[in-house]
Amino acid sequence: MTSPKRLSQEHQRSLARRLKARDERALGELYDLVAPWILGLVVHILHDEDEAEEVVSDVFVQVWRRIDQHDAGRGPLVPWILSIARNRSLDALRRRRRWWRKSALLEQVHAVEGGDIAPAAPHEATVPGWPLHREVHAALAALSEEQRRVVVLSYFEGLSHGEIARRLHQPLGTVKTRLRMAHQKLTEGLRHLKDWVE
Amino acid sequence: MTDWLGMLAAPRTPRPELKGRVLARALAPRRRWGGPLAAAALITLAVAGGAWWAYRTIGTLTADRDGLATRVHALEDTVSTFIHGPATQLIQIPVSTGGRVGSVTIFADSVRHRWLVRCDGLAPNARDQAYQLWFITERGMATAAVMPMDQDKPMVMGLEMPGADQRVVGAAMTIEPRAGSASPSGPVVFHRLL
Repeated sequence: MTSPKRLSQEHQRSLARRLKARDERALGELYDLVAPWILGLVVHILHDEDEAEEVVSDVFVQVWRRIDQHDAGRGPLVPWILSIARNRSLDALRRRRRWWRKSALLEQVHAVEGGDIAPAAPHEATVPGWPLHREVHAALAALSEEQRRVVVLSYFEGLSHGEIARRLHQPLGTVKTRLRMAHQKLTEGLRHLKDWVE
Repeated sequence: MTDWLGMLAAPRTPRPELKGRVLARALAPRRRWGGPLAAAALITLAVAGGAWWAYRTIGTLTADRDGLATRVHALEDTVSTFIHGPATQLIQIPVSTGGRVGSVTIFADSVRHRWLVRCDGLAPNARDQAYQLWFITERGMATAAVMPMDQDKPMVMGLEMPGADQRVVGAAMTIEPRAGSASPSGPVVFHRLL
Protein backbone atom coordinates (compact mmCIF):
# COMPACT_ATOMS: atom_id res chain seq x y z
CA MET A 1 0.00 0.00 0.00
CA THR A 2 1.43 3.31 -0.99
CA SER A 3 1.66 6.15 1.51
CA PRO A 4 -0.80 9.01 0.98
CA LYS A 5 0.51 11.94 -1.01
CA ARG A 6 0.21 15.42 0.35
CA LEU A 7 0.33 18.77 -1.31
CA SER A 8 0.02 21.19 1.55
CA GLN A 9 0.47 24.90 1.06
CA GLU A 10 3.92 24.53 2.57
CA HIS A 11 4.68 21.75 0.10
CA GLN A 12 3.49 23.96 -2.76
CA ARG A 13 5.68 26.80 -1.55
CA SER A 14 8.60 24.41 -1.30
CA LEU A 15 8.01 23.14 -4.83
CA ALA A 16 7.77 26.69 -6.13
CA ARG A 17 11.04 27.62 -4.43
CA ARG A 18 12.78 24.58 -5.84
CA LEU A 19 11.41 25.27 -9.31
CA LYS A 20 12.65 28.83 -9.09
CA ALA A 21 16.05 27.42 -8.09
CA ARG A 22 15.89 25.33 -11.31
CA ASP A 23 15.61 22.01 -9.47
CA GLU A 24 14.66 19.60 -12.25
CA ARG A 25 13.56 16.89 -9.81
CA ALA A 26 10.94 19.29 -8.46
CA LEU A 27 9.36 19.45 -11.91
CA GLY A 28 9.10 15.65 -11.95
CA GLU A 29 7.46 15.68 -8.52
CA LEU A 30 5.05 18.37 -9.60
CA TYR A 31 4.15 16.37 -12.67
CA ASP A 32 3.37 13.28 -10.58
CA LEU A 33 1.08 15.31 -8.34
CA VAL A 34 -0.86 17.47 -10.75
CA ALA A 35 -0.61 15.90 -14.21
CA PRO A 36 -3.78 13.76 -13.79
CA TRP A 37 -5.79 16.85 -12.87
CA ILE A 38 -4.27 18.97 -15.61
CA LEU A 39 -4.92 16.27 -18.18
CA GLY A 40 -8.45 15.80 -16.88
CA LEU A 41 -9.18 19.50 -17.15
CA VAL A 42 -7.69 19.82 -20.63
CA VAL A 43 -9.45 16.74 -21.96
CA HIS A 44 -12.71 18.03 -20.54
CA ILE A 45 -12.27 21.27 -22.47
CA LEU A 46 -10.86 19.85 -25.70
CA HIS A 47 -12.43 16.39 -25.90
CA ASP A 48 -9.33 15.22 -27.69
CA GLU A 49 -6.75 13.10 -25.86
CA ASP A 50 -3.86 13.69 -28.29
CA GLU A 51 -4.34 17.42 -28.40
CA ALA A 52 -4.74 17.46 -24.63
CA GLU A 53 -1.36 15.80 -24.17
CA GLU A 54 0.24 18.53 -26.29
CA VAL A 55 -1.41 21.18 -24.15
CA VAL A 56 -0.28 19.44 -20.94
CA SER A 57 3.24 19.51 -22.33
CA ASP A 58 2.88 23.23 -23.08
CA VAL A 59 1.62 23.83 -19.55
CA PHE A 60 4.64 22.24 -17.90
CA VAL A 61 7.00 24.04 -20.26
CA GLN A 62 5.35 27.32 -19.29
CA VAL A 63 5.45 26.46 -15.57
CA TRP A 64 9.17 25.65 -15.81
CA ARG A 65 10.06 28.76 -17.80
CA ARG A 66 7.79 31.24 -16.04
CA ILE A 67 7.78 30.01 -12.48
CA ASP A 68 9.26 33.39 -11.50
CA GLN A 69 5.92 34.96 -12.43
CA HIS A 70 4.12 32.94 -9.76
CA ASP A 71 3.49 35.12 -6.76
CA ALA A 72 3.00 32.93 -3.70
CA GLY A 73 1.40 35.87 -1.94
CA ARG A 74 -1.47 35.85 -4.43
CA GLY A 75 -2.29 32.16 -4.18
CA PRO A 76 -1.03 28.62 -4.08
CA LEU A 77 0.81 26.93 -6.93
CA VAL A 78 -1.92 24.51 -8.03
CA PRO A 79 -4.63 27.07 -8.94
CA TRP A 80 -1.97 29.03 -10.84
CA ILE A 81 -1.13 25.94 -12.89
CA LEU A 82 -4.83 25.17 -13.38
CA SER A 83 -5.40 28.65 -14.75
CA ILE A 84 -2.48 28.20 -17.17
CA ALA A 85 -3.95 24.88 -18.29
CA ARG A 86 -7.38 26.39 -18.77
CA ASN A 87 -6.06 29.34 -20.76
CA ARG A 88 -3.91 27.12 -22.95
CA SER A 89 -6.84 24.78 -23.55
CA LEU A 90 -9.16 27.60 -24.49
CA ASP A 91 -6.49 29.01 -26.81
CA ALA A 92 -6.25 25.62 -28.50
CA LEU A 93 -10.01 25.41 -28.69
CA ARG A 94 -10.20 28.77 -30.42
CA ARG A 95 -7.39 27.89 -32.81
CA ARG A 96 -9.05 24.82 -34.08
CA ARG A 97 -9.95 24.90 -37.70
CA ARG A 98 -12.45 22.21 -37.04
CA TRP A 99 -14.17 24.44 -34.55
CA TRP A 100 -17.65 23.97 -35.82
CA ARG A 101 -17.36 20.21 -36.11
CA LYS A 102 -15.99 20.01 -32.57
CA SER A 103 -18.63 22.41 -31.42
CA ALA A 104 -21.29 20.08 -32.78
CA LEU A 105 -19.53 17.27 -30.91
CA LEU A 106 -19.58 19.32 -27.74
CA GLU A 107 -23.27 19.91 -28.16
CA GLN A 108 -23.80 16.16 -28.36
CA VAL A 109 -21.68 15.62 -25.24
CA HIS A 110 -23.56 18.29 -23.35
CA ALA A 111 -26.84 16.88 -24.50
CA VAL A 112 -25.81 13.62 -22.86
CA GLU A 113 -24.41 15.32 -19.74
CA GLY A 114 -27.14 17.89 -19.51
CA GLY A 115 -24.54 20.66 -19.88
CA ASP A 116 -23.11 19.83 -16.49
CA ILE A 117 -19.93 18.27 -15.22
CA ALA A 118 -20.05 15.00 -13.37
CA PRO A 119 -17.71 14.02 -10.54
CA ALA A 120 -15.04 11.45 -11.26
CA ALA A 121 -15.79 7.79 -10.80
CA PRO A 122 -14.98 6.44 -7.32
CA HIS A 123 -12.21 4.16 -8.63
CA GLU A 124 -10.15 7.30 -9.25
CA ALA A 125 -10.21 8.24 -5.59
CA THR A 126 -6.63 7.13 -5.14
CA VAL A 127 -5.44 10.05 -7.24
CA PRO A 128 -3.77 12.69 -5.04
CA GLY A 129 -6.03 15.70 -4.57
CA TRP A 130 -9.24 13.68 -4.60
CA PRO A 131 -10.77 15.39 -1.50
CA LEU A 132 -10.22 18.74 -3.11
CA HIS A 133 -12.02 17.52 -6.21
CA ARG A 134 -14.99 16.53 -4.04
CA GLU A 135 -15.05 19.87 -2.28
CA VAL A 136 -15.00 21.84 -5.51
CA HIS A 137 -17.84 19.69 -6.79
CA ALA A 138 -19.75 20.32 -3.57
CA ALA A 139 -19.29 24.06 -4.06
CA LEU A 140 -20.57 23.75 -7.62
CA ALA A 141 -23.49 21.61 -6.50
CA ALA A 142 -24.50 24.34 -4.08
CA LEU A 143 -25.25 26.59 -7.04
CA SER A 144 -28.62 26.63 -8.72
CA GLU A 145 -28.98 24.72 -11.98
CA GLU A 146 -28.95 27.95 -14.00
CA GLN A 147 -25.88 29.31 -12.25
CA ARG A 148 -24.06 25.99 -12.65
CA ARG A 149 -24.76 25.95 -16.36
CA VAL A 150 -23.35 29.45 -17.00
CA VAL A 151 -20.27 28.70 -14.88
CA VAL A 152 -19.52 25.55 -16.84
CA LEU A 153 -19.99 27.28 -20.19
CA SER A 154 -17.81 30.18 -19.10
CA TYR A 155 -15.05 28.18 -17.46
CA PHE A 156 -14.77 25.12 -19.65
CA GLU A 157 -15.69 26.54 -23.02
CA GLY A 158 -14.37 30.05 -22.52
CA LEU A 159 -17.58 31.53 -23.89
CA SER A 160 -18.18 35.24 -23.51
CA HIS A 161 -21.28 36.52 -21.75
CA GLY A 162 -22.92 37.21 -25.11
CA GLU A 163 -22.10 33.76 -26.43
CA ILE A 164 -23.56 32.13 -23.30
CA ALA A 165 -26.70 34.24 -23.66
CA ARG A 166 -27.12 33.08 -27.25
CA ARG A 167 -26.38 29.46 -26.38
CA LEU A 168 -28.96 29.39 -23.58
CA HIS A 169 -31.45 31.73 -25.26
CA GLN A 170 -31.33 34.00 -22.22
CA PRO A 171 -31.05 37.79 -21.96
CA LEU A 172 -27.48 39.05 -21.57
CA GLY A 173 -28.27 40.77 -18.28
CA THR A 174 -29.59 37.53 -16.84
CA VAL A 175 -26.42 35.70 -17.78
CA LYS A 176 -24.24 38.42 -16.21
CA THR A 177 -26.27 38.34 -13.01
CA ARG A 178 -26.12 34.56 -12.77
CA LEU A 179 -22.38 34.56 -13.34
CA ARG A 180 -21.78 37.27 -10.77
CA MET A 181 -23.85 35.52 -8.13
CA ALA A 182 -22.26 32.16 -8.94
CA HIS A 183 -18.82 33.69 -8.61
CA GLN A 184 -19.70 35.12 -5.20
CA LYS A 185 -21.03 31.78 -3.98
CA LEU A 186 -18.04 29.87 -5.29
CA THR A 187 -15.59 32.30 -3.74
CA GLU A 188 -17.37 31.87 -0.44
CA GLY A 189 -17.65 28.11 -0.79
CA LEU A 190 -14.01 27.60 -1.71
CA ARG A 191 -12.53 30.10 0.71
CA HIS A 192 -11.68 27.39 3.20
CA LEU A 193 -9.58 25.42 0.71
CA LYS A 194 -6.06 25.29 1.96
CA ASP A 195 -4.31 22.01 1.55
CA TRP A 196 -4.45 19.27 -0.93
CA VAL A 197 -4.53 16.30 1.38
CA GLU A 198 -4.29 12.54 1.14
CA MET B 1 -10.58 31.16 -5.65
CA THR B 2 -12.45 30.20 -8.80
CA ASP B 3 -9.16 28.99 -10.26
CA TRP B 4 -9.82 25.88 -8.19
CA LEU B 5 -12.69 25.13 -10.62
CA GLY B 6 -10.12 23.31 -12.70
CA MET B 7 -10.36 20.57 -10.11
CA LEU B 8 -13.96 19.93 -11.20
CA ALA B 9 -12.89 17.80 -14.11
CA ALA B 10 -12.27 14.14 -13.35
CA PRO B 11 -8.58 13.27 -13.20
CA ARG B 12 -7.12 11.18 -16.00
CA THR B 13 -4.08 9.06 -15.56
CA PRO B 14 -1.61 10.12 -18.23
CA ARG B 15 0.03 7.52 -20.41
CA PRO B 16 3.35 6.55 -18.80
CA GLU B 17 5.45 7.83 -21.70
CA LEU B 18 3.94 11.32 -21.44
CA LYS B 19 5.99 12.24 -18.38
CA GLY B 20 9.30 11.62 -20.14
CA ARG B 21 8.14 13.59 -23.15
CA VAL B 22 6.90 16.52 -21.07
CA LEU B 23 10.01 16.74 -18.90
CA ALA B 24 12.34 16.39 -21.88
CA ARG B 25 10.59 19.24 -23.63
CA ALA B 26 10.41 21.48 -20.59
CA LEU B 27 14.04 20.93 -19.63
CA ALA B 28 15.44 21.16 -23.16
CA PRO B 29 17.76 24.13 -23.61
CA ARG B 30 15.89 27.09 -24.94
CA ARG B 31 16.68 28.28 -28.37
CA ARG B 32 19.34 30.93 -28.17
CA TRP B 33 18.35 34.19 -29.74
CA GLY B 34 21.53 35.96 -28.71
CA GLY B 35 23.31 35.61 -32.07
CA PRO B 36 20.44 36.62 -34.33
CA LEU B 37 19.47 39.40 -31.93
CA ALA B 38 23.01 40.74 -31.89
CA ALA B 39 23.13 40.64 -35.70
CA ALA B 40 19.78 42.38 -35.91
CA ALA B 41 20.97 44.99 -33.42
CA LEU B 42 24.15 45.56 -35.46
CA ILE B 43 22.18 45.93 -38.69
CA THR B 44 19.76 48.30 -36.99
CA LEU B 45 22.68 50.28 -35.61
CA ALA B 46 24.34 50.43 -39.04
CA VAL B 47 21.12 51.53 -40.73
CA ALA B 48 20.48 54.11 -38.03
CA GLY B 49 24.08 55.35 -38.28
CA GLY B 50 23.79 55.60 -42.06
CA ALA B 51 20.54 57.46 -41.77
CA TRP B 52 22.07 59.84 -39.21
CA TRP B 53 25.13 60.41 -41.43
CA ALA B 54 22.88 61.07 -44.46
CA TYR B 55 20.75 63.42 -42.38
CA ARG B 56 23.80 65.36 -41.20
CA THR B 57 25.36 65.44 -44.69
CA ILE B 58 22.14 66.61 -46.30
CA GLY B 59 21.83 69.25 -43.59
CA THR B 60 25.40 70.48 -44.19
CA LEU B 61 24.96 70.54 -47.97
CA THR B 62 21.66 72.36 -47.63
CA ALA B 63 23.32 74.99 -45.43
CA ASP B 64 26.17 75.33 -47.97
CA ARG B 65 23.69 75.69 -50.82
CA ASP B 66 21.72 78.31 -48.93
CA GLY B 67 24.93 80.22 -48.17
CA LEU B 68 26.01 80.13 -51.79
CA ALA B 69 22.57 81.22 -52.94
CA THR B 70 22.75 84.18 -50.55
CA ARG B 71 26.17 85.13 -51.87
CA VAL B 72 24.95 84.86 -55.46
CA HIS B 73 22.01 87.13 -54.66
CA ALA B 74 24.39 89.61 -53.02
CA LEU B 75 26.66 89.56 -56.06
CA GLU B 76 23.69 89.98 -58.36
CA ASP B 77 22.67 93.03 -56.33
CA THR B 78 26.18 94.40 -56.52
CA VAL B 79 26.40 93.83 -60.26
CA SER B 80 22.93 95.26 -60.74
CA THR B 81 23.98 98.36 -58.78
CA PHE B 82 27.03 98.71 -61.00
CA ILE B 83 25.17 98.23 -64.22
CA HIS B 84 22.07 100.25 -63.52
CA GLY B 85 23.56 102.95 -61.23
CA PRO B 86 23.11 106.54 -62.59
CA ALA B 87 26.80 107.31 -61.94
CA THR B 88 28.02 104.25 -63.83
CA GLN B 89 29.90 104.79 -67.07
CA LEU B 90 30.00 101.93 -69.54
CA ILE B 91 33.12 101.55 -71.63
CA GLN B 92 33.38 98.76 -74.16
CA ILE B 93 36.75 98.14 -75.77
CA PRO B 94 37.25 95.71 -78.68
CA VAL B 95 40.54 93.83 -78.39
CA SER B 96 42.49 91.38 -80.53
CA THR B 97 44.68 88.76 -78.83
CA GLY B 98 46.37 85.73 -80.40
CA GLY B 99 44.56 86.31 -83.67
CA ARG B 100 41.09 86.38 -82.14
CA VAL B 101 38.70 89.21 -81.46
CA GLY B 102 37.32 89.83 -78.02
CA SER B 103 36.23 92.68 -75.81
CA VAL B 104 36.78 94.25 -72.42
CA THR B 105 33.76 95.88 -70.82
CA ILE B 106 34.23 98.31 -67.93
CA PHE B 107 31.44 99.54 -65.66
CA ALA B 108 33.07 102.52 -63.92
CA ASP B 109 31.18 103.70 -60.81
CA SER B 110 32.52 107.15 -59.98
CA VAL B 111 30.47 107.40 -56.78
CA ARG B 112 31.71 104.22 -55.11
CA HIS B 113 35.09 104.43 -56.84
CA ARG B 114 34.86 100.89 -58.12
CA TRP B 115 35.15 99.24 -61.49
CA LEU B 116 33.48 96.07 -62.65
CA VAL B 117 35.51 94.60 -65.50
CA ARG B 118 34.42 91.78 -67.78
CA CYS B 119 36.78 90.24 -70.32
CA ASP B 120 35.40 88.15 -73.20
CA GLY B 121 37.23 86.32 -75.97
CA LEU B 122 40.76 86.91 -74.68
CA ALA B 123 43.24 84.28 -75.87
CA PRO B 124 44.72 82.15 -73.06
CA ASN B 125 48.13 83.32 -71.86
CA ALA B 126 51.42 81.51 -72.37
CA ARG B 127 52.52 79.71 -69.17
CA ASP B 128 54.88 82.47 -68.06
CA GLN B 129 52.62 85.38 -68.97
CA ALA B 130 49.49 87.14 -67.71
CA TYR B 131 47.27 90.01 -68.72
CA GLN B 132 47.75 93.07 -66.52
CA LEU B 133 45.14 95.83 -66.31
CA TRP B 134 46.27 99.37 -65.58
CA PHE B 135 44.62 102.55 -64.38
CA ILE B 136 45.86 105.55 -66.34
CA THR B 137 46.04 108.38 -63.81
CA GLU B 138 47.25 111.94 -63.96
CA ARG B 139 50.39 110.75 -62.16
CA GLY B 140 51.09 107.82 -64.46
CA MET B 141 50.21 104.12 -64.70
CA ALA B 142 48.93 102.29 -61.60
CA THR B 143 48.38 98.57 -61.60
CA ALA B 144 44.74 97.51 -61.31
CA ALA B 145 44.91 93.71 -61.57
CA VAL B 146 47.05 90.84 -62.82
CA MET B 147 44.93 88.28 -64.66
CA PRO B 148 46.61 85.00 -65.61
CA MET B 149 44.25 83.45 -68.12
CA ASP B 150 44.78 79.74 -68.60
CA GLN B 151 41.35 78.87 -69.95
CA ASP B 152 39.24 80.21 -72.74
CA LYS B 153 36.51 81.54 -70.45
CA PRO B 154 35.04 84.96 -69.72
CA MET B 155 36.41 86.67 -66.62
CA VAL B 156 34.63 89.14 -64.29
CA MET B 157 36.25 91.10 -61.45
CA GLY B 158 35.53 94.05 -59.20
CA LEU B 159 38.32 96.57 -58.68
CA GLU B 160 38.88 99.37 -56.18
CA MET B 161 40.00 102.60 -57.91
CA PRO B 162 43.09 104.47 -56.71
CA GLY B 163 42.76 107.16 -54.05
CA ALA B 164 41.28 110.58 -54.70
CA ASP B 165 44.73 112.09 -55.26
CA GLN B 166 45.11 109.94 -58.39
CA ARG B 167 42.36 110.84 -60.78
CA VAL B 168 41.76 108.04 -63.28
CA VAL B 169 41.67 109.22 -66.83
CA GLY B 170 41.87 105.93 -68.71
CA ALA B 171 42.62 102.23 -68.72
CA ALA B 172 45.14 99.98 -70.42
CA MET B 173 45.95 96.30 -70.63
CA THR B 174 49.33 94.75 -71.38
CA ILE B 175 50.83 91.28 -71.45
CA GLU B 176 53.38 90.96 -68.64
CA PRO B 177 55.35 88.26 -66.84
CA ARG B 178 53.21 85.87 -64.80
CA ALA B 179 53.78 87.72 -61.48
CA GLY B 180 52.97 91.10 -62.99
CA SER B 181 55.12 94.22 -63.45
CA ALA B 182 55.47 97.48 -61.54
CA SER B 183 55.06 99.40 -64.80
CA PRO B 184 53.90 98.36 -68.27
CA SER B 185 56.66 96.68 -70.27
CA GLY B 186 55.03 94.08 -72.53
CA PRO B 187 52.79 94.14 -75.60
CA VAL B 188 49.76 96.47 -75.31
CA VAL B 189 46.33 94.82 -75.63
CA PHE B 190 44.44 98.10 -75.45
CA HIS B 191 44.97 101.68 -74.29
CA ARG B 192 41.90 103.86 -73.81
CA LEU B 193 41.28 107.30 -72.33
CA LEU B 194 37.87 107.79 -70.72
